[in-house]
Amino acid sequence: MTDMKRYAISEGVSLNCFTDERFKTLRISVDLLIPLAEDTAEIYGVLPSLVSRATENYPDYTLFGQKLADLYGSSINSNVGKVGGYQVISLSAGGIASRYAFAGEDMVEELSSLLFGILFHPLKDETGLFPEEGFRQEQRQILENFDAEFNDKILYARQKCLEAVFEGLPQGLNRYGKREKVAALTRGEVSGAWDTLLKQAKYEIFVLGDCSPDISLFEKAFSGYGRQYAALPLVPHSGEVKTITEDLQLSQSKLVMAFKADMQPEERMAFRLMSAVFGGTPSAKLFVNVREKMGLCYYCSSRFYPETAILTVESGVETENIQRARDAILEQLQSLQAGELSEDEIQSAKLAMSSSFRSVEDSLDAVESWYLGQCFFETLQTPESAVQEVMGIPKEQIISEAKKVKLDTVYMLKGNSN
Amino acid sequence: MEMTKITGKHVHDVYCKIQHPTGLSIFIYPKENCNSTYAIFGTKYGSVDNCFKRSDEQNAEKVPEGIAHYLEHKLFESEDGDAFERYAKTGASANAFTSFEQTCYLFSCTDRVYESLEILLDFVQSPYFTKETVQKEQGIIGQEIKMYDDDPQWRVMFNHLRAMYHHHPIKEDIAGTVESIAEITPEYLYRCYNTFYNLNNMVLCIAGNIDIDETLSVCGRMLKKSEPVEVERIFKAEPGSIVTDYVEEHLSVASPLFQFGYKENVTTVNRSEKDIAAVEVLLDLFASDASPLYRKLLDEGLINEASFSHEYFEGASFASVIFSGESKDPKKVAEYIREEVNTLKNSGISEETFNRSKKAVYGMNVSALNSPSNIANGIISYAFKGRELLKYIDAFTELTLDDVSEKLHRILDEKMSALSVVLPRA
Repeated sequence: MTDMKRYAISEGVSLNCFTDERFKTLRISVDLLIPLAEDTAEIYGVLPSLVSRATENYPDYTLFGQKLADLYGSSINSNVGKVGGYQVISLSAGGIASRYAFAGEDMVEELSSLLFGILFHPLKDETGLFPEEGFRQEQRQILENFDAEFNDKILYARQKCLEAVFEGLPQGLNRYGKREKVAALTRGEVSGAWDTLLKQAKYEIFVLGDCSPDISLFEKAFSGYGRQYAALPLVPHSGEVKTITEDLQLSQSKLVMAFKADMQPEERMAFRLMSAVFGGTPSAKLFVNVREKMGLCYYCSSRFYPETAILTVESGVETENIQRARDAILEQLQSLQAGELSEDEIQSAKLAMSSSFRSVEDSLDAVESWYLGQCFFETLQTPESAVQEVMGIPKEQIISEAKKVKLDTVYMLKGNSN
Repeated sequence: MEMTKITGKHVHDVYCKIQHPTGLSIFIYPKENCNSTYAIFGTKYGSVDNCFKRSDEQNAEKVPEGIAHYLEHKLFESEDGDAFERYAKTGASANAFTSFEQTCYLFSCTDRVYESLEILLDFVQSPYFTKETVQKEQGIIGQEIKMYDDDPQWRVMFNHLRAMYHHHPIKEDIAGTVESIAEITPEYLYRCYNTFYNLNNMVLCIAGNIDIDETLSVCGRMLKKSEPVEVERIFKAEPGSIVTDYVEEHLSVASPLFQFGYKENVTTVNRSEKDIAAVEVLLDLFASDASPLYRKLLDEGLINEASFSHEYFEGASFASVIFSGESKDPKKVAEYIREEVNTLKNSGISEETFNRSKKAVYGMNVSALNSPSNIANGIISYAFKGRELLKYIDAFTELTLDDVSEKLHRILDEKMSALSVVLPRA
């Protein structure tokens, strides 16, 4: 069994190594965490795709693509995500392990030098700015991403609901900020921000898969960087339930309900388990009752976000059935709060969670998400210790956590197919 | 019991293919040090199989659209509870899907794998449908159909297939329509179940943390021998032309989506590992992010990296090359793709480009072998098409420039190209 090895390169830079020959690939990722703020979200959001499109060594987009293709279809990925009230700017390089390369190329060396090139030597013009053409390209593509998020109605409804839950707070901002501010960005403000980001971010670096990395290389590259941050405090319930309705020409309506949990950090796992018995699996209350018994929907499930202590329930229903679905969901929560929960229901949720935890180490993506999701937690938990913890949670605690969630926001995207 | 070991020249993993006396083909791909196991049990029966003739009967039969998918939903139920309740006791995460040509039931787990395997083999072999249970599912499947009605990617794809295909049933929605599912009765479900859920028409594949002997012992206990009935799928002859070269629809979207592609005039039911590898390399050198086409489309702001993709979409008696994504001007994208095909046909493919794409596609396929679910899903869908996964990966190294050029000249025929667009509502 492989363990994650964690090295503190500096106060704000952690190197996480999970290397194992059972993988046929390797991946090096650098995740930069920075407070999500109204005046910087758009600027930082455009940066990862911009720095990864060309470097001093590979100044042309197509040549860079050809280099990656020559390295057996290696990939450079850039992404912008969110953990609580932080923006996560991710850059990674991945490809097959050297043993599968026809000419035995040193893939760790190749991929780390490409990734370091992106981080420390992105292409700039003679004035020290990112080239105009590349900047416009990436700005356009982020604007198009806002459109794509609207095109996917399940995602759109979820985002609108969470925006309303955290209205006016960093947790409620879109990962790319606001559309109109992205459209107004200039390459001047963006170019200077890359160095600021490198200096001010908290770093989580991952080296994963079939490789033996040279730790000193990472120490040398990152020792002068990074800053430590703490998780944002949880947002308490305002005492009122917000209801938002939007009409669109659709065949099916979407219902998203968000509940706030009054949670202490040590209760995270118990809340996850509560969410699992409520609506996290096909044997959970929502699936069995709202879908199977009432036949109201194709999907009706819950999810718990530990970093913000929010529980959501999502469903797709006939417009005329929205109210029935909402009532049925609340009724299931009330029954849970009243202690209607069998040992079989608990055991099945525990086993499902254990299986999902134990599967984490079979996927490099899952390993990275698992540890990145915990980067503001007091202690890091391995998947196996999470299994031990969840299996030990008693019924009384699940019921008691269920009583600590309160409906905060109901978002309805009403379909109107006339 | 006949057991064959399969390995590759470059990837030295080994998996076993077992021809079980009950008629079932079983593939087992053990992965050392893997925590999880993924098992998939499927039948070569999908949404296209609406007209068929059994070898033990005289006449062909036509049935309503959407039965394969309806069966998938209903098989989870039995007289004394549903399969999810049984899986709940083992912790396995279970699911199922229906595609054009297959219906598969699957689970992944990290403990009690053989108990979960028993559940899988048992419920898929134990149909139980009554008028009431069939009736109840109409609401749930109706909502599933409506969910897809609002999915612009789903719409742009089916509109495209309808633009390309005159008769082939791949142009019909997998779940059927609200009207066609209203015709489904327990009798239809039993009829199709008994025809297609014959072990001779089915495959079991397990990858990950798994022991071959223990698996075979569960199979020996649980599998019920099937009579060797063969099923002939009847497709109306598909003309060597498209229906229309352009189709559009307006939906609640913020920006247009497109799917553009070339229908191939297929001469055989299935394609070989080498055929697939050659087209994959062709598409990579033609449209990957290292290609001149991609650069041109990007520079002119016509595509974005997040959505532009290409695919060789093929199965029984159909094949097409498909490009899709979001674009402010889909017609221009289609025009550039058509132009670039002609340019490449005239200039020919360079050795350098060919070698680069060959390495790239090989690498991407090797990478996919990390995941037990990718492996098992790949093996089962290949098995239904008479192909082997590791033989496919080896095919890349043996591929020549001529193989790829032949595909370029034969399958990308401008007269067979069609564009489908989803536009914002006015």
